[in-house]
Amino acid sequence: MATQTAVDVVMPQMGVSVSEGTITKWLKAEGETIASDESLLEISTDKVDTEIPSPASGVLTQILVPEGETVEVGTKLAVISPEGGGEPVDEPPELATQEAAEESADASGAEGETRAAEKVEDAPAPPSPEPAETPAPAAPPEADGDGGGQVRAFVSPVVARIASEHGIDVGQIEGSGRGGRVTKKDILAFVEQGGAKTPAPEAPPAPAEPAAPQTPAEQPAQAVAAAQPPTGEVEPGAGETVEPMTPMRKGIAEHMRRSLDTSAHVTTTFEVDLSKVVAIRQKLKREYEERHGVKLTYLAFVARATLDAIAKWPWMNAEIRGESIVTKSYVNLGIAVALEGGKGLIVPVVKHAEEKNLLGLARAIQEIADRARNKKLMPDDVQGGTFTITNPGGFGAIHGTPIISQPQVAILDVEAMVKRPVVVQDDAGADVIAIRPMMNLCLAYDHRLIDGAYAAQFMRDLRSNLETWDESSY
Amino acid sequence: MAVKTYLQAISDALRDEMRRDKRVFVIGEDVGVYGGAFKVTKDFQQEFGPWRVIDAPLSETAIVGGCTGAAIMGMRPVAEMQFADFISCAWDQLVTVAAKQHYRAGTPVPIVVRLPSGGGFSGGPFHSQNPESSFAHIPGLKIACPATPADAKGLLLSAIEDPNPVLYFEHKHLYRRIKDEVPDERYTIPFGEARIHREGDDVTLVTWGAMVYTADEAAKQLEGELSVEIIDLRTIAPWDRETVLESVAKTSKALVLHEDTQTAGFGAEIMATIMEEAFEDLDAPVKRVTAPDTPVPFAPPLEKWFLPQVEDVVAGLKDLAEY
Amino acid sequence: MAIAREAEPVSSIKETKEAGLDREDLLGIYRNLILTRGIEERGHILYKQGKIPGSFYTGRGNEAAAVGVATAMRPEDVGTPLHRDMGVHVVRGVEPWRMFAQFMGRVDGPTRGRDGNVHMADDRLGLIAMVSHLPAMLPVAVGAALAFRIRDEKRVAIGWFGEGASARGDTHESMNMAGVRRLPVVFICDNNQWAYSTPTHLEFACETIADRAQAYGFDGVVVDGTDVLAVYREAKRAIEKAREGGGPTLIECLTLRMEGHAVHDDAFYVPKEMFEEWAKRDPLERFRTWLRDNADFTDEEEGEISEQVKKLLNDAIRKADESPLPEPEGEVDAVYATPEELETPHHK
Repeated sequence: MATQTAVDVVMPQMGVSVSEGTITKWLKAEGETIASDESLLEISTDKVDTEIPSPASGVLTQILVPEGETVEVGTKLAVISPEGGGEPVDEPPELATQEAAEESADASGAEGETRAAEKVEDAPAPPSPEPAETPAPAAPPEADGDGGGQVRAFVSPVVARIASEHGIDVGQIEGSGRGGRVTKKDILAFVEQGGAKTPAPEAPPAPAEPAAPQTPAEQPAQAVAAAQPPTGEVEPGAGETVEPMTPMRKGIAEHMRRSLDTSAHVTTTFEVDLSKVVAIRQKLKREYEERHGVKLTYLAFVARATLDAIAKWPWMNAEIRGESIVTKSYVNLGIAVALEGGKGLIVPVVKHAEEKNLLGLARAIQEIADRARNKKLMPDDVQGGTFTITNPGGFGAIHGTPIISQPQVAILDVEAMVKRPVVVQDDAGADVIAIRPMMNLCLAYDHRLIDGAYAAQFMRDLRSNLETWDESSY
Repeated sequence: MAVKTYLQAISDALRDEMRRDKRVFVIGEDVGVYGGAFKVTKDFQQEFGPWRVIDAPLSETAIVGGCTGAAIMGMRPVAEMQFADFISCAWDQLVTVAAKQHYRAGTPVPIVVRLPSGGGFSGGPFHSQNPESSFAHIPGLKIACPATPADAKGLLLSAIEDPNPVLYFEHKHLYRRIKDEVPDERYTIPFGEARIHREGDDVTLVTWGAMVYTADEAAKQLEGELSVEIIDLRTIAPWDRETVLESVAKTSKALVLHEDTQTAGFGAEIMATIMEEAFEDLDAPVKRVTAPDTPVPFAPPLEKWFLPQVEDVVAGLKDLAEY
Repeated sequence: MAIAREAEPVSSIKETKEAGLDREDLLGIYRNLILTRGIEERGHILYKQGKIPGSFYTGRGNEAAAVGVATAMRPEDVGTPLHRDMGVHVVRGVEPWRMFAQFMGRVDGPTRGRDGNVHMADDRLGLIAMVSHLPAMLPVAVGAALAFRIRDEKRVAIGWFGEGASARGDTHESMNMAGVRRLPVVFICDNNQWAYSTPTHLEFACETIADRAQAYGFDGVVVDGTDVLAVYREAKRAIEKAREGGGPTLIECLTLRMEGHAVHDDAFYVPKEMFEEWAKRDPLERFRTWLRDNADFTDEEEGEISEQVKKLLNDAIRKADESPLPEPEGEVDAVYATPEELETPHHK
């Protein structure tokens, strides 16, 4: 639909804890026309790399944030104007500001997270009426620069200094500068109005509890990580090259380390005979492909069998929250997808996977994997996983010790299917050696919650589901 | 107090000083009988004779070197380059000899070299330049760039009194275009003291020479919208860092404007100083409006493109205002 | 066929008297020649001992040219001597220990360590410090002469240059302006035949540098630069002519640079025969012989001067060596002169 008025493109909230995103590529140049939903730019966040579709049809009249720049969620990135509509609209429509404010109130923003972390330890308390008098020194200018305000923009040296002198969070101030930047005049007016002494009424401080439903345990650790200062520049030695980590790589690094620090990882491995699954797949493959356009993979069988096993062993789908065990009636099944060239790893989530039959699951896995590889994932696609399957077997791996995706408690590693000589019983009950398609399944589980026996029984049932596949059930 | 053109102010000041101080003499190409290419020394030779108003051969090196020798012998020479552009021919005498003599040998070299500079009249690549930044880089030289008739007088007298080599840039475009009151009595204006041409609160505009008027026009156009403080540096070696930094502390935004080309122009030095000394006062990146990095073109549309125009300054100021 | 006049040698004590020199003056010239060479020889040794940083230049072979011209100057005259003209500093009265301090970069050198080797001058002695861009000093000498002319003072400026420097435009502009204005300046060309490694025929195409004078409207003369008395007599004539309003003269002192361009240069490019031939015309030996032949110069007198100079040099080096190396204090302030520095009778 062609826009009648100028529409702002803002940095989307790619996940509850995501506070900023990096513009990796503009797919359109200023002056080009664009259709609604046509890809406009690519962004990279610590959660996901994705293309952003245009919110409207029209002309891309202004690009406000260049490639390579990292801006806070809600920052105005571009303006789409009506075709032939003449001058670009400079002022952001109120709507954009409002949205940004709302999003920021969503416990996002680096500072918001930091505060959340502090508040989790302390008893939730009403915000101090006089921040200027709290003993904690004002945040240094750099921190202010990342402050979760409304539309975030560069904090100039003089604004940082004044903010520091008066103990002001720049994020509280409405900016009148370019891109909503808080100017010296803005902050001086704020001081003059006594802003330094009382928080601005329209800008409530970050809530004591994060608004996100499923990630309270995640918040503190992540906030700590976010609060760490960036490491300094690295000088390459002889024969070395140095490149900065992408936001995604930093996210993965932080998450993996944190998971190992959080969960008591134990891995158990089961051998599964897939003879029956192979036969069924052989039978259904063509039909799936031709009638449904779905590739039937072994992964889909494993996923389906896993969901059935989870139904019997619900802690596999649980979460430790504080000192409580939270189990869920639904399974949001994460499927780890490696991006080409080792660029990273995304875990899109099949929501309510337990409701899907083999066909539905196969389709859902295929769609979400495609979206991940084509950078079409929506923020929601990567959130809320309750159990994860990773599939290095596709590359030939036969054993692994995967790391749990927090705050989950288990992850299943699907290894390569290989033909092996195995001892089986013939019809007469005698032992014979047969060639069977065998697959190892490795389960890493969090021993804080799940004991070895529980895990082994889960795995036993999973194996059984696969070896005695009941075609009629699906 | 009399109203004089910029040119008349220079001419009168020089004549008065020659009457007052017998050590002062002028030397240059066509300064005597002809009275100088721009008539700054018109009728001087009738009054002071051919040995104090010396028509020199076409020898910039010998003119400036000769001034150095005469100055060391106790004279107060005032050389005229017919155009500032020709100073390149005397580079060695200024930079190698005059500028370094005091540091090396403790010998003061009180000379003044007058340099009619600047463009705006299709003078082309060799009659339009503003080469002050080349010399601002040389320790031992002083540089004045007056913008008003009153400053032209006071700075010229300071230059003559100064015990060091002084390059006195007089902007050709101002010669007859700018008229203003000039005090009758003898006075000097110290080097390194800027003049607040216009007070303002929102943006500091640092400039000198003819660009003071371009800046002024731009500030007038923005009146009511933006309050611009214009600082006329008056001398760029030494230059008044304190006044600039004080103003930036007030406005937190600065634009440097000069007619010279951009790269390594003196504006770069001013910007660097603001970054170093006033970083925490800044609310926007310091901005430059200068000529592009080309020789000065001849044809009017090309020269107009080359010279910073009022609209360029307005755009620069607006950009800072909106930042 | 050269255009410039060739100077005659001075053949008798009678001629020297006519030129204004009595016997004491002659012994003084001898002493200045010995001292000039002594300073440079001792400097050469100090350089090789590592006591002098940078480069070191000598004027061996040019002593007579420098001493001869400087002896012809009056105290009120001024000049811009170059790096082969140590004799000028000696004659004008610069104390040898200050020169050694200069060579060694000490605070008591005339430039306080801010510049090296012969880049120095005591302006109270009427000398202006040279720069490395050698012909650049000629316009300055012309300017000094211009000041004398404007003020109608009976003073003369001497501008030195080498045959290499003759190739540059400053030389032309200076001589042209001096000729046009008939200024009281005398141009002295130290033609030592080698500009670093470049021989004269690659520097100029006329037969002598002095030939050029005619083109500028004044006299040129070539003099044997190893003959101190001949140099003196020509310089005296030229200086006094200038003083009386007769305009400039160009004197070309023909010598051979008897060492490399600087200590680091072994001058391999100079033919051995050339050195051998000019060694026979060593200016000190020549003058000693002349004194013995014409002025009853005795062994005792020679020994006495030799001892005096030796002691002077020893004391000078010791004193210079006691002078400290400079600290970088007040360097930035030293770049510009203060108004107080013009509060001198000279500048009033």
